[in-house]
Amino acid sequence: MTRFGILATTAAAIIAVVLPFFLKPFGIYLISMWAVLTIAAIGLNLTLGYAGQVSMAQGAFVGIGAYTVALLTQAGCPFALAFAAAGVLCFAIGWMLGYPALRVAHHYLAFVTLAFTTLVFLVLRNEEWLTGGTYGINGILRPAFFGLSTAKPQPFYYFCLGTLAVLALATWWMLRSPWGRAFKGLRENPIRAQSLGIDTRRYTLMAFAIGAGLGGLSGALYAPLVQFIEPGSFALGLSFNLLLMVIVGGSGYFFGPFVGALVAVLLPEWMRIAEGYYLIVYAVAVMVMMAFCPSGILGLVERIRNAASRSDRAAPALRAEGAGP
Amino acid sequence: MSAVLEVSHLRKSFGGITAVDDVSFEVRDGEILGIIGPNSSGKSTLFNCVLGQLRPSGGEVRVGGRTTTGMRPCDLNRLGVSRTFQLLQVFPQLSVRDNLILAGQEHQGSMVARLIGRADAGLGEAVDRMIAFFNLAHLAAEPAGALSYGQQKLLDAAMAFMAGPRLVLLDEPAGGVNLTMLSQLRERLAAYHAERNATFVVIEHQMEFVMALCTRVLVLAEGRIIAEGAPHEIRRNPVVIDAYLGH
Repeated sequence: MTRFGILATTAAAIIAVVLPFFLKPFGIYLISMWAVLTIAAIGLNLTLGYAGQVSMAQGAFVGIGAYTVALLTQAGCPFALAFAAAGVLCFAIGWMLGYPALRVAHHYLAFVTLAFTTLVFLVLRNEEWLTGGTYGINGILRPAFFGLSTAKPQPFYYFCLGTLAVLALATWWMLRSPWGRAFKGLRENPIRAQSLGIDTRRYTLMAFAIGAGLGGLSGALYAPLVQFIEPGSFALGLSFNLLLMVIVGGSGYFFGPFVGALVAVLLPEWMRIAEGYYLIVYAVAVMVMMAFCPSGILGLVERIRNAASRSDRAAPALRAEGAGP
Repeated sequence: MSAVLEVSHLRKSFGGITAVDDVSFEVRDGEILGIIGPNSSGKSTLFNCVLGQLRPSGGEVRVGGRTTTGMRPCDLNRLGVSRTFQLLQVFPQLSVRDNLILAGQEHQGSMVARLIGRADAGLGEAVDRMIAFFNLAHLAAEPAGALSYGQQKLLDAAMAFMAGPRLVLLDEPAGGVNLTMLSQLRERLAAYHAERNATFVVIEHQMEFVMALCTRVLVLAEGRIIAEGAPHEIRRNPVVIDAYLGH
């Protein structure tokens, strides 16, 4: 990482820690939502941004994770166990969803995963005996650890932030290991990757499974955050929203999902002053952004910094190893 | 000398067209075998069948005595068979250095060991040597996509050698490379061959390149082998001259 990157990350981390002291409960709820959705977006960024596999199913995995935790904790299972179960279950289902990706790519794969999201929504809505159907599940409790309850907004936010930090660190480690390089190889040139001994089948499935697992863990925090879940929250809209976060933030940049989730969670709120038009304004902003900077906000930052350093004649030194694409 | 690669009665047809028609040959340990032939004579299809990129319609491929017909390219690569491509195949957004680490990392330990182990999979020094060997040191941190065509060809070859393969199949290494870069490439290939006693199979159009590099030449036309011999014999062979110029 460059010095600029380290400075920016440290500053952002400090802000994330002290911010709740300056916010009302709704503000804390919003930044908790940011932390939760960032986890899901990190997973999608791994599948899509690094490994190059289009997935429109991340919202469905958040849903599976959320329902798993809601159902298990209401049946008396401890939260930690339910949390792990959500991750493992989504990992397994994600692995299976990866199989179509071995046969189809790009927009065909998008359709396969889109169909999966619809399927999950239908199961959540129709299997009333398990999921409560359209009534959803009410009164999901926030966990307590060693006698410390996270029922209040502030402790729960720190719980979400801590989980995000741990999962982000684990993902960062994986991406800088040879696995990360293999995932990028899969994205850049699968045929060449195969001829170099890279088991593209195993890495493709792994990219789907780990991405889905992170989606499930995100859902496992989502349920106790909102405390009421219903199938509509995990329909296509959420999958599109997560896709938007990854792309707007900068697909294939490690911090892309953090930035993208911030935009997707906060921008609609700030734009409430535009009243009924806020979604329109938001949509136009996204369209303009995509037209002029398809590599996302972090892609734009990198472009500006590269242009600046070129004028300093120091370009090659700054491009060294790190979390770039 | 034992055979590193044995191909027997290999056939590949696409619908009604037979691209490779009952081809048999063997590649001996340490030789540089050239395969030449006019366009659409089946050279690349032959390569792709040998390397598992295409499933042959019939026949058998053996590497070091072991049957590998229909084996996946990644498994074949782990047996020590490597290749370069006719059309450039590098990872354009990865640095030259990362391209080379990626080319060798899957031969280092298990999948789990690679996850928890070092970021460069312990290949740092091997990569440095390979970069120096192919004169790419000044470009090590550049993204591969930013290199010139000739430099990418060098990188492509270097990647094929990263895992220390016993057999390397080079698909038109000289295609589209300018003369200066071409002599550099040829010299590097010859040097690698001398140093490691590696076995090469080279598909090539550029006759001078083949004549200078190869120890033995096969001529393919319309999917069949029509001639075989030392380079200077092939050059004078009337069947070969006819196949290239006769139609």
